[in-house]
Amino acid sequence: MAVKIRLKRMGQKKAPFYRIVVADSRSPRDGRFIEEIGTLDPMTEPSTFKVNEELAKKWLANGAQPTEAVSRIFKKAGIEK
Amino acid sequence: MEKIIVQGILYDFYGELLTGHQRRIYGDAVYNDLSLSEIAEENGISRQGVHDLLKRCDRILAEYESKLHLVEKFTHIRQKAEEIERLSKDAAVGGRMETGAEDGTGRQDRLAYADDRIVALAQAGRLAREILEEL
Repeated sequence: MAVKIRLKRMGQKKAPFYRIVVADSRSPRDGRFIEEIGTLDPMTEPSTFKVNEELAKKWLANGAQPTEAVSRIFKKAGIEK
Repeated sequence: MEKIIVQGILYDFYGELLTGHQRRIYGDAVYNDLSLSEIAEENGISRQGVHDLLKRCDRILAEYESKLHLVEKFTHIRQKAEEIERLSKDAAVGGRMETGAEDGTGRQDRLAYADDRIVALAQAGRLAREILEEL
């Protein structure tokens, strides 16, 4: 099963807020996700993020693929593959 | 700022102006962070087709912003309203401390004046919050 780690936009129009979620790549559209492992708030300057490092590492070790945007957040958070 | 965040904000403001097809695909890319191949598979079009569509939408949305500046104006108004809210709060707190510290002749007058000022500041703060909510 291909598992991805991606951003999921929440919040209202013009007031974005993102969850970092682990999701099955085969059902990308319906919004179902397996687990939430962090958040990203772009409304602050600079953007603030929280990542559950333990869960992130666990999923990466299990072969979950982060999207480019998530990879950059992980890098800033000091989480290595 | 992350590209996907900028794209999401432009989509908030001008997404309605895209066609239904563009809106759905661009929305999947910027709201759900789906990859080109995922979107291609979902919609039965080629990866290259998705790529071209996203690029075209980026260009269309950027052009709207360059002509209408809605995001820019929104950002400025929000910053200023936040500033007003903060200033009025700080000034009201300062005013209360002043009235508490003084004593002697004319104190009643000064208190009444300070009360008026605090009420005015509270109103300014309330207006700023209303603007922030309405934006």
